[in-house]
Amino acid sequence: MDVSGAGQMTPSRRNFLKSLGVVTAAGLIAACTNDNGEAAGNGNGGGGSGNFPETPEWNFVFVNHVTTNPFFVPTVYGIEDAGAILGTTHQWTGSEGSDIGEMVNAMEAGIGGGADGIGIALVDLDAFNGPTDDALAAGIPVLGYNADAPNNRLAYIGQDLYGSGFEMGLRIVDLVGSGKVALFIATPGQLNIQPRIDGALDAIAESGADIEAVDIATGADLTEELNNVEAWYLGNQDATGMFAVDAGSTQAVGQVVRDQNARDNALVAAGGYDLLPETVELVADGVLDFTIDQQPYLQGFLPVVYMYLWKLSGGVVTPPETNTGLVFLDSVGAQLFLETESRFEGDAEEQKIVEPVG
Amino acid sequence: MTELEERETGGEAIEPPVSRSLLVRVGTYLLRRPESTVAIAALALAVYFTLANEFFLTAANIRVIANVLIPTAILATGQTMLLISGEIDLSQGAVYFMTPFLAHFAVEAGIPLPLAVMLALLGAGVIGLINGGITLAVGIPSFIVTLGMLLIVQGVTLNLSDGFPARAPSVGLDVDIFGGAPFSGLAWVILFVAFLHIVLTKTRWGVYTIAIGDNRLGAREAGVPAYRITMRNFIVAAMLAGFAGIIEGVRIGSFDPGAGGAAGLRVFMAVAAAVIGGTVLTGGYGTIIGAFLGALVLAVLQDGFNIMGVSAFTFGIVLGAAIIVAMVVNALASKARIRSQSVKL
Repeated sequence: MDVSGAGQMTPSRRNFLKSLGVVTAAGLIAACTNDNGEAAGNGNGGGGSGNFPETPEWNFVFVNHVTTNPFFVPTVYGIEDAGAILGTTHQWTGSEGSDIGEMVNAMEAGIGGGADGIGIALVDLDAFNGPTDDALAAGIPVLGYNADAPNNRLAYIGQDLYGSGFEMGLRIVDLVGSGKVALFIATPGQLNIQPRIDGALDAIAESGADIEAVDIATGADLTEELNNVEAWYLGNQDATGMFAVDAGSTQAVGQVVRDQNARDNALVAAGGYDLLPETVELVADGVLDFTIDQQPYLQGFLPVVYMYLWKLSGGVVTPPETNTGLVFLDSVGAQLFLETESRFEGDAEEQKIVEPVG
Repeated sequence: MTELEERETGGEAIEPPVSRSLLVRVGTYLLRRPESTVAIAALALAVYFTLANEFFLTAANIRVIANVLIPTAILATGQTMLLISGEIDLSQGAVYFMTPFLAHFAVEAGIPLPLAVMLALLGAGVIGLINGGITLAVGIPSFIVTLGMLLIVQGVTLNLSDGFPARAPSVGLDVDIFGGAPFSGLAWVILFVAFLHIVLTKTRWGVYTIAIGDNRLGAREAGVPAYRITMRNFIVAAMLAGFAGIIEGVRIGSFDPGAGGAAGLRVFMAVAAAVIGGTVLTGGYGTIIGAFLGALVLAVLQDGFNIMGVSAFTFGIVLGAAIIVAMVVNALASKARIRSQSVKL
C-alpha cells in the first residue's frame, strides 16, 4: 500500500507557519526593547547632560507591588522625565497583584541583570532585606519609594505615612468634633497604608475628642471597595464622619456620600487620600472636604536624580530621606487639578507648562 | 525467499536493523517522547535569551530562573494529576498563600518546623478534601467548586493574617531543608516530579487516574474506584500547593497573604504550565515531566523578558504572545513527530 506523504506536512505550509512564528516573536521582542531605548534622553550623544560629563546609559530598575495601578502613572512619567534629562533608562517591573515573591524575583533579576540602581516599594518588612543587602554589596544603590521599611536602603522617597495620618486625624477632630467616624482602609496591615490609619487613630485618641473612631477594611479593588463602604454606611447612617487612607477607598467614600446624600443625614465631614480623577471631582464639588496628595510624580523623578548623582559621584553624594509631601487638597485646589491635565497628575502625556489657574 | 515474502518486500531482501550506538538509541528514545517538543522549546528559548542578553546565563540569573520556576512547577505537578483525572483545582493559588500561615501559627506555638509544616499540610489537605467532597458527592463541576473555594480561602488567609505579612523562620537546618538553602526548592521540585511521574506511569493510581479522566463512567463500571482516586488527586493538589507556599515563603523570609489577585494568577500559571507541557484540559492525557518543562518555559520567558528590561505595561503582551507562539510551535512539532512515527505500510 502506498501512503507516501504520511509523515510530511506540506513544506510550504510548515515553512509559512514557522516563519510567521519567528517574525511575530522577533517583532514583539523588537517592539519591547524599543520601549527602553526611547526612554533614554535625547541629548546624550555628545557630552553629558548639562554640566555633567558623558555618562553611560545607566539603567534604573523600579520594582512595584501594583505595577498597573493608575496611581503610579505619574510616577512612571517622573522616572521618564528625569531619565530624559540625565540620559538614563529604566525598567518598571514587579507584581501586578502585590505578590511579594514576584517582586523579590524581579529585584533579584535586576541585580543579576546588571541594574545600575534599584527603586523598591518596600511593602514588606523582611522579604526585601536580603536582596537589598545583595544589591548594595554589588555596588548597586537601592532606594525605597512610596512605602518604607527598616532596611539598609540608602534613603526613602515618599510620604511620611504615619505623619500624614496623624495630620489627617487632627483635621478630622477639627472638622467633625464628635460622633461616630469611620476610617476605611483597603487592605489592613499593608505597609504603605496601615501607618496612616495608625496615625489618624492616634491623633484622634490623643485629642481627647468625643469621637468613636472605627477602622473598616474595604478590599483591594475599586468595585469591592465601593460595595463595602456603601454597606457600612447603610448600617451606620448616624455616622458624622467617613474618611479613608487609600485611593480606592477615598473614591468609594466620596461616591457613597454623594449617592446616599449622607450630608443630609448626620454626616459632617469626609475626606481621604490621593488623586483619583473621581476623587478630585468630588472634592471640587464639595462632596469630600479634602484629599491628601503624596505627589507620586516626585516618587519617580527624585529617585532617578538621586541614583544618578550617587553613581556619578562614586557614592559621595548620598540620597537624602525625602518626604514628598502632605498636601491637603481642598475644593479650590481640586478645581485647579480638574482644569488642568498634566503628566504630574498622570492624566495627560503631553509635555507642557501648566499655567496656575485663578 | 518464499512467494509471500517476495510479494511483500517487492523482491528485495530485508536487511536486519543496523545496531545503533547507545547515544543514538537514547537520543531517539528521548525525541520520541511527547515531552520532547516542550523540552526543545525551553532549550530554544534559553538559547535565544542567552544570545540576546549577556546576563541571562550567569549563576545569579539561573538562580532567579529557578526561583521563578519552583512554585509554579510544584503547583503544576499537583494540578496535572487532577487535570488528567478530569477535574481542576482553582483554589490552589489561595491554598498556596494560606498554608504558610498555618505553619507560622504552629511555629509560634512552639512546635518544631518540620512538624509545623506537616500540620499545615494537613490543613491544606482538608481544603482538598472539601474540594473533592463537594465536587464528587454533589456532582458540581470542580471548576465552580474550586473557584468558590479560591475566594473563601483567600478570605480565610486575610483573616488569619490580618492582612499583614508574617516573618518566616530563618535559621536552622530544618529551615534550610524547607526552602532556606539556595537550591533546596529545586531539590523538592525534582523529588515531587519524579514521585508523581512514577505514580502516573507505573502505579495503579496513575492508570486509574488516566482511565477516570478518559471515561469516568466506563472506568467505574470496569471497577475503578473513581471517587477514591479522584479525591486522592484533589488532596495531593492542595497539599502540594500548600507546600509550595511554605518553601517560597521561607525563601523570601516572609509569609505574605497575597492580597490583590495574586492567588488567581498563581494557579492560572500552574494550569498554563501543565497545558504547555502537554496535559489536556479535558482529562485523560497528561504528563508530569511535561508540567515541569512547561513551568520551565514560563520561567525562562518571564525571567528572560524581565532581564531584557521589558516594563510592566508591555510585559503582559509579550509574555502572552510568547506563550501562544510556544504552544503553536509545540503543537505543530508534536503533530510532525507523531506523523513521523506512523508506520509506513
